[in-house]
Amino acid sequence: MADGPASPGGGSHESGEHSPRSNVREQDRYLPIANISRIMKKALPANGKIAKDAKETVQECVSEFISFITSEASDKCQREKRKTINGDDLLWAMATLGFEDYIDPLKIYLTRYREGDTKGSAKGGDSSSKKDVQPSPNAQLAHQGSFSQGVSYTISQTFCFQH
Amino acid sequence: MKPFLLSHPDTMYNCSQVYCSHSLAHTSYPCGDPYFGSSIVAYGTQAITQQMVPQMLGLASTRIALPVELAEDGPIYVNAKQYHGILRRRQSRAKLKAQNKLIKSRKPYLHESRHRHALKRVRGTGGRFLSAKQLQQFNAELVTDAHSGPGPVNVYQKKDASEAESHPSRTGKNASITFTAISGLTSMSGNSVSFRRPEHNFLGNSPNIGGSSQCSGGLTFGGGARQCTSVGR
Repeated sequence: MADGPASPGGGSHESGEHSPRSNVREQDRYLPIANISRIMKKALPANGKIAKDAKETVQECVSEFISFITSEASDKCQREKRKTINGDDLLWAMATLGFEDYIDPLKIYLTRYREGDTKGSAKGGDSSSKKDVQPSPNAQLAHQGSFSQGVSYTISQTFCFQH
Repeated sequence: MKPFLLSHPDTMYNCSQVYCSHSLAHTSYPCGDPYFGSSIVAYGTQAITQQMVPQMLGLASTRIALPVELAEDGPIYVNAKQYHGILRRRQSRAKLKAQNKLIKSRKPYLHESRHRHALKRVRGTGGRFLSAKQLQQFNAELVTDAHSGPGPVNVYQKKDASEAESHPSRTGKNASITFTAISGLTSMSGNSVSFRRPEHNFLGNSPNIGGSSQCSGGLTFGGGARQCTSVGR
């Protein structure tokens, strides 16, 4: 995930980002929890609230789901001697893992996305979810190695359809 | 694997709670629930097993038993299509665990500098951060009091009162509010620009500061969430 640079406003910069035991940062393993909270809140009434542990649990679940789909797509790419995972590979992986019901909506979404139609969308939820994961389009268009962003884009879409 | 299992039961219990609440939201997609449940079942915990069993019995697709290594009370049946994927993910997590790359505990905040910045910010009644406009009004009130009152004594009392007002809320809610605020700050790209400015600029009228502070307020309290989102765009 894209991480904004933190200014040195006092205190060690590195100590804030690395846990004392290991070199793994939370932002490298999980999606940003604020974006997840926003998506979860769309399913609640106006006065609804979400507990912190609920957000963290969903954060872990969606991050694991992303790894689940991505590893299946990665296996396929390795068998076919390809290095780049694209959107069709992810759709194939989801179909292979039993998520066929999502394939049709995601195909439509992927088609519109490839046409560069980032504004027009039949559903209101789509536009807000797109803006939530704004960094993703650059990653997808440039075919960079960071596919977790592209997948998170799809995941946001998936959650919107579940509403 | 023991510590892995020990650390997860609480999380899995929360998972089952989330799953129960999500069931209502997922009514329009009945097939979605078992798939989501299947993903959770990959962790293999007792609570999840009890939750999943009735759901799985209703499914018409084939069930394959996973290896009993991680299961404490008998085999866990999952969607046949996901069997190999789940095994692969288990191996990946085991490898990461061996390399000590799994996240074990969460810190209350991700960035020290942002945490310190949040501690400095002025809070109004109820513990929310003051936006740029509110800060201006606050300063205006100080100036007015200085003019109308006898002078420095009143100003000192005013500041002391506001400081005492903000201290209790900070003490009581510091950890959670700071974490949520930092999360909000992290998700906005403009905040890095705000951080680079000199401290005295925060007293001025800056759109970045206004946006970020309102966003933080929205993320802290559920009622302001929508307002926060619109400001962020």
